[in-house]
Amino acid sequence: MWKFIVRRLIITMPQLILLSLIVFILASMMPGDALTGQIDPNISSEAIEEQREKLGWNNPWYVQYSDWVVGVAQGDFGQSYRFKMPVTDLIWDRMINTFWLSLISVFFIYALGIPMGIISGRWNDKLVDQIITGYTYLGFATPIFIFALVTLWVFGFHLGWFPTGGSVAPGLESGSMEYILSKIHHLLLPGLSIALIGLVGTVQYLRSEIVDTKQKDFIITARAKGAPEQRVYNRHIFRNSVLPIAAFFGYEITMLISGSIFVEQIYSYPGMGALFLESIVLRDYSVVTALVLLFGLAAILGALLSDIILSIVDPRIRIK
Amino acid sequence: MSKSLMGKYLFVLMLALFLVLAACGGDDEGAEDPSDDGSEGTEETEEQKEEEEEEAVDPEDQIYDIDDFSTAVSNDGDPIDGGSLNYGLVSDTVFEGTLNFNFYGGTPDFEILQWIDEALLSMDENYTYTQDGAATFEADQENNSITFTIRDDVQWHDGEELTAEDWVFSYEVIADPEYTGVRYGTAGFTLIEGIEQYREGETDSIPGIEIHDEKSFTINYERLTPSLLTGGVWTYALPKHIFGDIPVAEMEESDAVRQEPIGIGPFMVDSIVPGESVSLVKNENYWRGEPNLDEVTVRVINPSVVVQELETGGVDLVSSFPVDQYPENSQMENVEFLGQIDMAYTYIGFKLGDWDEEASKVNYMPDEMKMGDVELRRAMWYAVDNDTVGERFYNGLRWAGTTLIAPSHPDYHDDSIEVPTFEPEEAERILDEAGYEDVTGDGFRETPDGEELVINFASMSGGDVAEPIANYYVQSWQNVGLNVQLLDGRLHEFNSFYDRVGNGGNDDPDVDIYMGAWSVGSDVDPSGLYGSNAMFNFPRYESEENDRLLEEGISEEAFDVEYRQEVYSEWQEFMVEEIPVFPTLYRSELRPANLRVTNYNIEQGSGVYLHELGVTQEEPVVAE
Repeated sequence: MWKFIVRRLIITMPQLILLSLIVFILASMMPGDALTGQIDPNISSEAIEEQREKLGWNNPWYVQYSDWVVGVAQGDFGQSYRFKMPVTDLIWDRMINTFWLSLISVFFIYALGIPMGIISGRWNDKLVDQIITGYTYLGFATPIFIFALVTLWVFGFHLGWFPTGGSVAPGLESGSMEYILSKIHHLLLPGLSIALIGLVGTVQYLRSEIVDTKQKDFIITARAKGAPEQRVYNRHIFRNSVLPIAAFFGYEITMLISGSIFVEQIYSYPGMGALFLESIVLRDYSVVTALVLLFGLAAILGALLSDIILSIVDPRIRIK
Repeated sequence: MSKSLMGKYLFVLMLALFLVLAACGGDDEGAEDPSDDGSEGTEETEEQKEEEEEEAVDPEDQIYDIDDFSTAVSNDGDPIDGGSLNYGLVSDTVFEGTLNFNFYGGTPDFEILQWIDEALLSMDENYTYTQDGAATFEADQENNSITFTIRDDVQWHDGEELTAEDWVFSYEVIADPEYTGVRYGTAGFTLIEGIEQYREGETDSIPGIEIHDEKSFTINYERLTPSLLTGGVWTYALPKHIFGDIPVAEMEESDAVRQEPIGIGPFMVDSIVPGESVSLVKNENYWRGEPNLDEVTVRVINPSVVVQELETGGVDLVSSFPVDQYPENSQMENVEFLGQIDMAYTYIGFKLGDWDEEASKVNYMPDEMKMGDVELRRAMWYAVDNDTVGERFYNGLRWAGTTLIAPSHPDYHDDSIEVPTFEPEEAERILDEAGYEDVTGDGFRETPDGEELVINFASMSGGDVAEPIANYYVQSWQNVGLNVQLLDGRLHEFNSFYDRVGNGGNDDPDVDIYMGAWSVGSDVDPSGLYGSNAMFNFPRYESEENDRLLEEGISEEAFDVEYRQEVYSEWQEFMVEEIPVFPTLYRSELRPANLRVTNYNIEQGSGVYLHELGVTQEEPVVAE
């Protein structure tokens, strides 16, 4: 298996290089740059042109690309023009925020999704299953940006149970108990919004797997041997049905760092998704390229992780 | 099976209903408001009467007039001791965190900066420097110099005295070739004597600036222009005792800018949550006096939730309010809406040339451009009904513009100038006379030479009304027989729009006319937008008379305000005759304030300062 992992990692490199090349070319085709927005009669256009020249934005894209590659090789992703700080520092700040948000949503997805899937699979076509399946259809059909707005309105503004924006209450001392509690409080609503929509896939996969496994021969054998129903479900059916979920797990990890653009926007939550969108709109290219590369890396690693997990939970799958 | 299916449907229906009802909740409240207002209203009887009369009108169809809005809150109660206020920074992006006037770039940062630092010179309602600020000035027209004197009691937040050296230091940093911001290049810097020598590294300090003592210094200019006193002079100091040791290129990313910003303003930074919020505490040593409020929290809120934040009292004041959301929220009971004329105008521009990169000036060539005929341009002005656009799309909160100096500069805007208004017959008459006639019989006019005339109209996307407005203009012109088409048949995103219109100097020859908007600076001088060597002169218009008037407007004689007014009146009139662009809409700016807020005035030069701002009760007023 180590061989496999190493081989996959080696393939990753050219993929990333290709990705960065495409992003760079596309970015150079996009109209405008971070200074185009400065259409302001109080700022002289010479000053803007001078900055452009100084920052090397007038160079052809391949020159900029090679400069960038040299920097990246040394771990330097450049400077964000907009934030006037190193891209790595900027992304690191945001990644921590997104990591916590994603962690809590992944937690809710599994904590709610797996029991719901089991219940609806075990009692399929009963009322409880119909309710859960009905919910999943609705969840499939509801766009996350509508759902997030509705939850924000109902629980944030109307009932006032949760804060309505940001990642932490202003003015708290970083690291104190209050600060941590405030962070969690701020995470709950956006995390739940993501999870309540995000879990529908998990529920449906699990349900159909359980319904499928229930009728397999080895289950009938287990029952014939006199295994109690609880044991049949927990030991025999569940373990076999959880496979596709496990396969998905790697991809969920990807979400840990890429974040959710819509939810972060609606909740003014400063995470990676929001950073990505803003950087595109405001043409902060050094951030955009760094983020695309990072997301690409995460996706590739997520896929690899999924394969590895799958081979662990299902001994029949052997990676060669 | 059919029974279970039925159950399924029922459930889905129920959930759907739940969602729909939840979504309707907001509207219901809005509809109930007017009646609440009638029984509660204790303010002015006149207003109440008006409201009752208008009750029959759906608030969303009502036409508003910016003159009916006050710029100051009506709550004149005494502010309580202490108290904290929440300020909503309305933005769909985070704030960048470059918290120093000398380095910042984005508006969100500016909104935070205004609490912690301030310009050393105050401005009056015409955006002219006054002697009421932390410093005073004396202009010496004989020697082309201005002497500045800082008041004795002005201190930085850390207790250090603000010195003349601090102020001069900001000039030295901004003029430094290593400087990373965009503030250099305006007359306030380029006109200083010997500044080029300093930039080339020949001198260590700027030769034209003489420091006399701790608190005063003189800047010698090559010549004095009135622009210097209407925003040209750089009025923000930079604490030398903090920044003195930091290399210029690294200043903007230093902790002194990002984490522990410092200023002389009424509030000091207590803590910053990057991109989200800033907690401020009062600066007891503020030179105008101790602030009324103990704490101010500035928090970023998304424009899509600004109404909810206001209703629930989550924020007391906001940095901006989307005007298009006003009609349906005009009856919000826990806030008072303040309003004033915005420093901006929307306009239609006609491309009359392109940009000459080498000479760095416009290349005006009306004979080669479709829009080169002034009669055609005039007819197009007569063909559009801007007042109706303002009423239909903005409920009267935008209205037909007349000249290129907006009424936000009351002393310079000349409202006596007659401009074309909506008269399609007049438009047709002008076109007929100028020889634009439909010879092919396709319903559209041809050029006097008989060639087909298709006018490409570039318009920006953004907002719900961008498209209907663009279509309205296209139709209005088609109604008088001009074949106007949207460029590429669609609207264009901000960056690519300005790219094609000419920002950067590569004017797209496909663009014939465009609709843009300018927000204007504090200085009324329009040469940055219409001067012959201004990149932002997108119509690429040039004429001797125009150059002369713009030059006069910033000449030494123009120090006399009346003379300057005359010059700019003449210029406004000249622009109405030449029509390189014509203003379509003037705009208004609305600012809601929670009813507990007192001593708050949004007008420039109102004389009400942030240290006086207070609240009259501990908790914000909440909408029922």
